[in-house]
Amino acid sequence: MRIPFDIDNFPLGKGPMVMLVLFLISCLFIYTPAEEKGEHLEFWIFANTHYEEYQARIPIFEEMYPGVNVQLINYGGTMHDKLLTALLSDFGAPDVVEVEITSIGRFLKGDIDEVGFVDLRSRLESEGWMDKLVVSRFTPWSYKDRIFGIPHDLHPVVLLYRDDLYKAAGVNMNEIETWDDFIAAGKKATRDLDGDGETDQYAIVLDRRTESDYFNLLLQRDGGFFDANGNVVIDSDIAIDTLEFFTSLFNEHQIATPVYGTWHGDPSNFAAMQDGKILSILAPDWYVGILKSQVPQMSGKWKAIGMPAWEHGSRRTTTRGGTMVGITKQCKNPDLAWELLKFAYFDKAGLINRYETTRIIPPLKAAWDAPIYKEPDQYLGGQPLGQLFIELAPDLPPRYQNPYWSEAADLLNDAIFNAVTEKQTPRQALTQLAEKVRTLIAKDQQRWTKGIKNEDGTK
Amino acid sequence: MKTGRNRFSYWHQQQRIAPYLFIAPFYILFIVFMGYPLISSLVMSFYEMRGFQSRIFVGFANFVDLFRDPIFWKSLWNTTYFALGTLILQLPLALLLAILLNSKVVKGRNILRLAFFVPVLVAGVFIAIIFNLIFDQRAGLINNEFLIFGKEIGWLSESKYVMPAVILTGVWQWAGFNMIFFLAGLQGIRQELYEAAAVDGANWWQSFIHITLPSLRPVIAFVFVVSMIGSFQLFDLPFILTNGGEPADAGSTIVMYLYKNGFQFMRLGYAATIGWVLFIIIAIISIAQLKLLGIFQEE
Repeated sequence: MRIPFDIDNFPLGKGPMVMLVLFLISCLFIYTPAEEKGEHLEFWIFANTHYEEYQARIPIFEEMYPGVNVQLINYGGTMHDKLLTALLSDFGAPDVVEVEITSIGRFLKGDIDEVGFVDLRSRLESEGWMDKLVVSRFTPWSYKDRIFGIPHDLHPVVLLYRDDLYKAAGVNMNEIETWDDFIAAGKKATRDLDGDGETDQYAIVLDRRTESDYFNLLLQRDGGFFDANGNVVIDSDIAIDTLEFFTSLFNEHQIATPVYGTWHGDPSNFAAMQDGKILSILAPDWYVGILKSQVPQMSGKWKAIGMPAWEHGSRRTTTRGGTMVGITKQCKNPDLAWELLKFAYFDKAGLINRYETTRIIPPLKAAWDAPIYKEPDQYLGGQPLGQLFIELAPDLPPRYQNPYWSEAADLLNDAIFNAVTEKQTPRQALTQLAEKVRTLIAKDQQRWTKGIKNEDGTK
Repeated sequence: MKTGRNRFSYWHQQQRIAPYLFIAPFYILFIVFMGYPLISSLVMSFYEMRGFQSRIFVGFANFVDLFRDPIFWKSLWNTTYFALGTLILQLPLALLLAILLNSKVVKGRNILRLAFFVPVLVAGVFIAIIFNLIFDQRAGLINNEFLIFGKEIGWLSESKYVMPAVILTGVWQWAGFNMIFFLAGLQGIRQELYEAAAVDGANWWQSFIHITLPSLRPVIAFVFVVSMIGSFQLFDLPFILTNGGEPADAGSTIVMYLYKNGFQFMRLGYAATIGWVLFIIIAIISIAQLKLLGIFQEE
């Protein structure tokens, strides 16, 4: 075949000619639109364990809605930053997205109408879902009376303890009811086994570098950083008293050891558990799942009870962590997205499957009667752990969300560390912290009010 | 056969603009991905976001806030501390390694060069995870096996040891990389200079001071400037090693604080301000280094 033009006469030479042809061909590929087949939903997630579950179940949803194509994308730890960029640029956000509890605050900044998620309150209320779920679990995903997500989980917390080692120390953990009981038991169990003057086993491991364990205790008492109206309450008597108690476990009573490594899921922490240095830990349901996968060799050594209460008869649990699923305002078909949300979060068969793979208790009360939760858990020596979580679940405390949570948590980490290491008293640490966050919020409010006036020309 | 008509044809006229077309992709990409974001971030530093849709002009308020922000100063000090550690510990070590591995006395030089260079090929994230285990207070290799300091040190749990731990990790990661530059520099020094010095009775130290170091000046300037810029841009290593700067911001660096403000706190204006202040700091330090090393002097 003869080429219809003379390559040798191309004015810029052969090389540029080839480059030009390649450029034109690649342009063609770029401009060829992907074959559109009916409705399309993009679903972003960040958790690997969720990915496996949804990957298995999405084909069922696609069968239920012929012509619908759901694209599941797991961006891992970077997902929240990608979502932030997509919402800021008003382009490229998914239709449906899961958001982690410590990350949602930043998405609530500014005017409530500018939040990038669809308010789901009317859909939840009109379809009667509010009564079917643990209502306190909507608080992390709600702000100013709007609900931006459905809770994926409850994450009740139990006290997971080494049955063998507490027994060896002469402690019956089933008799523990309050934190005072725990301190008394902990003093027996915290021991120097070889007589070298150094403690070899501690009654409990607690994280003093981050807010995690302190916040566990604070929420258990209905405390928090912010109240339901968005006011800073971290310097309340209850918050200060809780931090005093938290620091006393390290300093006065000396029954707590700081977490080994950087967090409870650090390999160093698991190593310390296996060495018998750690006798108990405040564990949400997901953490038990991590333990099972990371240290399967410890099977049969653990047991669980409800968290010690602050007073006889008061709450024996708290909540730690969480994920929501929401619909972004860039979604073109929110009705279809809503159906996907319900399928992923409210389908009983799916929720049982979720418990099987992740040990996560769902917020849908109707799913709690499944026999699987009553099955003996061999990791806990045959104790039906699911049953304990479900018994505690209705009593979960609220965890009020706030746009300033990220800044507040960052500063709270410092305050806790300073209090435990006795650089400041708990009162000083929390009073200063509250003042800082109040000033931060007030300054923003002042700027925004002034800015709006300037924009309106009504200065 | 080319005709006169062809010579002045449309295509031949294009040859005049062809060079510009060839360099255009760079400028287009530079303007889109560098120029515009740079100017945009400068503008952004005079604003603050109010949610996702609107922003408020705040003038120099972000800069004023930044200079009053104790966490910024702490992050700046941590970053400077790391940069000083690089300057005092890492670069002399890299030079020492280069001299040793340039010497014919050392056996297996090629293998050793590779061994010292390899850490830079490992992603920072993995290095941080590995050193997290190495620095662990009770189970870690350093405290358990060496106990150099006679007691268990909370490398990552006590504020005062956090940055030294980051510096030591940085030394492991980058010393071999910088060694390669010094090695290249050393190999470029003419052997006759040393021979002439030896004839004049110069000992090893005198040769090092009067021949090696002056000859290495451009390489030293390059390595110092690049290392300082890298040090001030420190992010991934301490971010993972210290779980985001913990405890109590002891491991926080300027870029980490920028990231937190931009992405975690949604304070994009403040983050842009931190970015520009960091740029000014790096520019001042780089120019000062080049001046001190005499790079601007005419030959």
